[in-house]
Amino acid sequence: MNTTGLATLARREIRRTFQIINQVIWPPIISTLLYVLIIGFSVGGRIESASGVPYVVFLIPGLVALTVIEASFAESSASLFQHRFMNSIQELLVAPLSAVELVLGFITGSVVRALLLGHLLMLFLPIFTGRWPVHPLLCIVLMTLIAVFFSAVGLIMGLWAEKWDHIAIPQTFIFTPLIWLGGAFTPLTLLPEAARPLAFANPLFYLLDGFRFALLGVAEVSPWLSITVTTTFAVATLSVALQLFQRGWKLRV
Amino acid sequence: MNSPTELFEVFQISQPVAPVAAIDVSGLQKRYRGGALAVDGVTFGVAPGDFFAFLGPNGAGKTTTINAIVGLARFDTGTIKVFGHDVASDYRLARQAIGLAPQEFNFDRYLSVEEILVYQAGYFGVARDVARERAKVLLRQFSLWDKRDDEVAKLSGGMKRRLSLARALVHAPQILILDEPTAGVDLELRLELWDFLRALNRAGLTIFLTTHYLEEAEQLCNRVGIISQGRLVALDNKEALLAHQSHSRLELLFERPLDSLPVAWQGLQVTLEMDGRRAIIHQTEVEDVPRILQASEAAGHRLQNLHLARRNLQDIFLELTGRTNA
Repeated sequence: MNTTGLATLARREIRRTFQIINQVIWPPIISTLLYVLIIGFSVGGRIESASGVPYVVFLIPGLVALTVIEASFAESSASLFQHRFMNSIQELLVAPLSAVELVLGFITGSVVRALLLGHLLMLFLPIFTGRWPVHPLLCIVLMTLIAVFFSAVGLIMGLWAEKWDHIAIPQTFIFTPLIWLGGAFTPLTLLPEAARPLAFANPLFYLLDGFRFALLGVAEVSPWLSITVTTTFAVATLSVALQLFQRGWKLRV
Repeated sequence: MNSPTELFEVFQISQPVAPVAAIDVSGLQKRYRGGALAVDGVTFGVAPGDFFAFLGPNGAGKTTTINAIVGLARFDTGTIKVFGHDVASDYRLARQAIGLAPQEFNFDRYLSVEEILVYQAGYFGVARDVARERAKVLLRQFSLWDKRDDEVAKLSGGMKRRLSLARALVHAPQILILDEPTAGVDLELRLELWDFLRALNRAGLTIFLTTHYLEEAEQLCNRVGIISQGRLVALDNKEALLAHQSHSRLELLFERPLDSLPVAWQGLQVTLEMDGRRAIIHQTEVEDVPRILQASEAAGHRLQNLHLARRNLQDIFLELTGRTNA
């Protein structure tokens, strides 16, 4: 195992995050803050309660998870695509790095960015509502699994994309609808009746519900089910990414 | 650029104990998806310490072969071994032995000049403090020390070439693969790079180079392989290749440009230079010279100067690749 090589790639990815901090760290913090203040307090103040907690409390886990999803996907997809686009990926491909080391290097960078943001945003819970995460360890585990899941999806898209525009496709047409319909901002009981059964077919619902359980101790389905679904998707997407790197798909001509 | 003495103190160029080819390509075949055969059964070996020139026209399969050796391209059939290590099954040791300076710059735009070297060494498993030390030596060696904190985008073409060479050396490889190392550099730097490469080769580094400047190959290399349309058409020591035939090259300088070639020159391999004032006739026998001169005089072209030269690599290249221009 080329651990120095792996660590160097992870360091390079983390370095990249801090080089573009105004693009990738501050904007999600500011927009989440505005969501909490405007939607959570102003609009949410008119909602009695959601899943037995005040609306703003219900909202925060969804916003944190959303940011973790976006950050991990954006980091790995953009970094890999840019590497391919600029041909600098060749610096990695000629080095004695295995597919596992390459994938882990990129994913570590994405997970670090996602966890950094996730932890900063979790502070909004005690700051604005006086509550602390109910199951802090589970919070970290789930946040990591979510980040691995979406970093792996990001890597797959980073390989598949032939132009920048392609990177936006899953975000626009898949993640955003699934997040909104998966109970990120509204409990299932507030969704239109017809959309409710669909939520159970939506993997993001379990991911969001499990994360909310870890933070608030309230859930609509068994947390075990949520943990299982999240883990399964993280492992599955990671395996696909590894397979593609092993085959050198779109990497080695 | 300084002499590479300091470099050799930091980089111990290790030699293999057993007699094994530095690069051993056997039956290499590569077809791009939906495309033509890029490399068609190429077999050759590069011995440790060789300065090997790999020549061929654009699209002949040079870069594809290099990419297969360094791991940037997969191939359909054949085997490639680097110091005995198969590039597919034993890729770590094979890649560790190679330093590549590609034709197109491919630097990481998120890293500074110094970091490019430090990170590249890291990808090859070199510890960070060692990598920093080597980067320092290489940056001084290639006169890039003052630019170490700059972005690569700010470097001139010649500086980028030097950085590319430094990056190829930073993990102390045994083989240097250079794809067009002096493309786009001025004459002064080209000569400096030549001296530097010669010194590296003398110190024991095996060098494999492709170039469009046949003079470069002739000046530097001891062995030559010529590839044309995916097939190897020549593989020999340079001296043997040059001595192989007695043909010479006739250079004629005329007072005015030739608007058309004399009819009696038909069948000769002619290259025109200097807007048509200089005609180079490849593969000429000495006894043909009077006939060639009579034909041009009969066509009304006034000769200013003539030179009958020994065959050079360009003549051989043109002959073997069937081109009229390199």
